[in-house]
Amino acid sequence: MSDVIHNLSMEEKISELEGKIDYLEAKVHALESKNPVLEMQHVEKHFGGVHAIDNFSVKIEQGQIHGLIGPNGAGKTTIFNNITGIYAPDSGKIIFMGEDITGSSPHRVAQLGIGRTFQNIRLFSNLSVLENVVIASGMDATYNLPQAIFHSDRFKKREKLLNDKAMNLLEIVGLQDKANERANSLPYGHQRKLEIARAMALDPKLLLLDEPAAGMNADESLELVDFVREIRDHFKITILMIEHHMDVVSNLCDYCTVLNFGKTLAVGTPAEVKSNPEVIRAYLGGNE
Amino acid sequence: MFLQQLITGISIGGIYALLATGYSLIYSLLDFSNWAHGEFAMLGAYFAIVFANMVGLPFMLAALLGVCGGALISFLCEKLVYRHIRSTGAPNMFLMIGAMGLSTIFQQVANLVFTGQYRSFKFKLPVSTIEIAGAYLGVLDLISLVLTAVILVFLIYLINKTKFGLNVRAIACNANAARVLGVRVDRSIASVFLLAGSLAGVAGILYGMKYNVFPTMGNIGLKAFVASVVGGLGSVPGAIVGSLLLGVLETFVSGYISSSLRDFFSFALLIVLLLVKPSGLFGVDVQDKA
Repeated sequence: MSDVIHNLSMEEKISELEGKIDYLEAKVHALESKNPVLEMQHVEKHFGGVHAIDNFSVKIEQGQIHGLIGPNGAGKTTIFNNITGIYAPDSGKIIFMGEDITGSSPHRVAQLGIGRTFQNIRLFSNLSVLENVVIASGMDATYNLPQAIFHSDRFKKREKLLNDKAMNLLEIVGLQDKANERANSLPYGHQRKLEIARAMALDPKLLLLDEPAAGMNADESLELVDFVREIRDHFKITILMIEHHMDVVSNLCDYCTVLNFGKTLAVGTPAEVKSNPEVIRAYLGGNE
Repeated sequence: MFLQQLITGISIGGIYALLATGYSLIYSLLDFSNWAHGEFAMLGAYFAIVFANMVGLPFMLAALLGVCGGALISFLCEKLVYRHIRSTGAPNMFLMIGAMGLSTIFQQVANLVFTGQYRSFKFKLPVSTIEIAGAYLGVLDLISLVLTAVILVFLIYLINKTKFGLNVRAIACNANAARVLGVRVDRSIASVFLLAGSLAGVAGILYGMKYNVFPTMGNIGLKAFVASVVGGLGSVPGAIVGSLLLGVLETFVSGYISSSLRDFFSFALLIVLLLVKPSGLFGVDVQDKA
């Protein structure tokens, strides 16, 4: 009898808390929509005498897909490394959801909600597909080493939650059947998807994709376009992507920025950018 | 006689394994051999000696404090020395040289503080032997064997089944990718040093109980290193198998050939293995590090 009363009051408590969460989510959403998701202001990065990024600025609004394009060595991946805290910029500011993250450590940036993939896939090749995703979903693990050692209930619950969440993501990208295979045994296209699923395990608000269509043929690229759009719509995230395939960019991106030797050549919609004479010159190699 | 030798061999192999797994874990994360690792065992044993013989604490408590001492020294080496060498972006060779320096310093300090005298724990385990199937087995050997087995099973569980272990394996695979996925790489590395240091502390105390405690006893770290190379550097199961193999080999050589040839055979095994299978018995896929 007392159990029933106890359970009821628990349920009431839960529904009350749920109400509060809805309220907070609405409030967070209101705050989010005020600020651009990512804003970079006059960011500079030198390596010795090389100006890898020269006065780079960008503003990306909630839900947009923004493309970064430019020839090799234009500084695109350096921009990603500056955002994710692998390098600190020499000057300028990087603001994420209204918070200054210039020079923050990589794990801090990940915690705040920026996920990324790499140009050359960097999966944990010896770990299973599932473990690759679990890694990123457990940053907020709220048990410590002694609890893990003594296998406390809290620890078991956390581990189960992490596994469920990772399996859920694998289902979304269609890799649930491969969960226990080693990551490096997957075919190339699946490895790309796994890398995206792994980044999504951070619950990111911003996803950085570094040449997701690299090494794909036209059909695979088309499939990727649909896949990225699905991910964006399903998780309501914002995406900044580096891409060389112009058909992918035209299909996916709302806006794009064209870089050449660290300098910004043009900003605009894919159609605007494609007809920009400076861009054409940089890509087709006109005479200086 | 055979069973007796085998048990002694496995028990000494277990002590090597406590150290060899530490070598392997640290090598897998940081790509360098921590030459100061044997010294963590020596210092752990001295901590236990101080608390047991000089302060007069009960032996179990003193041993526990000794294990904590080994862990603390290991942790401080990472925090105050290795981390700073890494942050300068220096080649891994510098970490190894730093570790060699630390090893010499620890030996000298132990020599200064405790003199070169051989010390033994006042606490005496029953030195008696028990007879099983006609073999006389040392009680200390059996206790040591059971204790190390429990610890090693637990270590394997920790590495393979917990989020902590998953983080460690991910960092070993690709530290930068782990960092970008929110793994606190430096914190995980520090935890591994704590863990490896405490295992070294256990090894030092067991070894000190079997033989004695003296400033150069950390040289068993060299044997453990050989064992971890035989097993495959960077592999925890490899380190355990390599250690047991080495422990048994040494005991049989001492028992049936000559104890003065013991080290000759250990290192001959190492050289032969390096010629035949340089990646060791459980060689880790080295290409993944690239």
